[in-house]
Amino acid sequence: MEEHAPHTTDALIQLEVNRVVEDSTTDTRIVVLTRADGTSDLFMVWVGASEGESIRRALDTSTTPRPMSHDLIKSFGEHLGVKMERAVLTDVKSSTYYATVFLENKGVVRTVDSRPSDAFALALRCQAPIYVTQDVWKRRTGQNLDAWLSKLETKNIGAQEV
Amino acid sequence: MITQMQVKGLMFDPYNNAYIVILRDEDQSEMLPIWVGKSEASSISLAIENVAPPRPMTHDFMKTYLDAFNAKVISVVITDLTEHTYFAKIHLTYADSEYTVDSRPSDAIALALRTQAPIFASESVIRKQSSEELDQWLENLKPEDFGKLDS
Repeated sequence: MEEHAPHTTDALIQLEVNRVVEDSTTDTRIVVLTRADGTSDLFMVWVGASEGESIRRALDTSTTPRPMSHDLIKSFGEHLGVKMERAVLTDVKSSTYYATVFLENKGVVRTVDSRPSDAFALALRCQAPIYVTQDVWKRRTGQNLDAWLSKLETKNIGAQEV
Repeated sequence: MITQMQVKGLMFDPYNNAYIVILRDEDQSEMLPIWVGKSEASSISLAIENVAPPRPMTHDFMKTYLDAFNAKVISVVITDLTEHTYFAKIHLTYADSEYTVDSRPSDAIALALRTQAPIFASESVIRKQSSEELDQWLENLKPEDFGKLDS
């Protein structure tokens, strides 16, 4: 775990969660991230429906009447004094991304392996930055999928009007 | 007064398109059904069957998060039932202090099963639920309503 998790952010690319798109053909959501430096390339991660919903709710900053699972993790952090420092997408194997969450308490930093969906959902709730390594950025899926994505989004809008 | 409960199983509620976690006390005299969402049900199911998914699920991540700082789940308590909604509390120890965190019962149960923490229900919750017309509803369930979690 340690060798995949760089302890400085110098060589990393910062990402921002832009939106969550519903892929109505499968029961999944696509998390669309953009580079914080303003470059137009997109980074897409496919996540489960409930994880996607949790990320969407964090983006909307809409508060749910009942806390969701990631709100509970945030609440643990608040009670125990654990701060989320950052999330880093550290690896990709067979189109599956791997993430590491950096947590800090009283100067001690611990890293926890995570699915990207949990890392995003928690990072958005804790205002923690999200990074990707140069290597994972180069090997990202969803390159040249901008046209397909906008088509999917148009289709979703149509579906909602029915 | 609290009663220790065991997770007896999960069933599908076709009328509400939701899942029900069945908790029973050790004497098998009290039963507490808790309605949960699909993803929470699948997380609880994996813990009951002791299956490690290829990727850690959200509650596995939650456990690793607490483990990373040596925070321990001492117990979870289903504390209240208001308008068909259950409430729970998670009791933790961390660095010689105790903490109590509000939670949905589904998260509390999913975490308790992964940390081998006991699950309790308050007496008022058990009393309230038994007054509802639940027994009748359960009697009307057909055998095929059980075991649909994988569908």
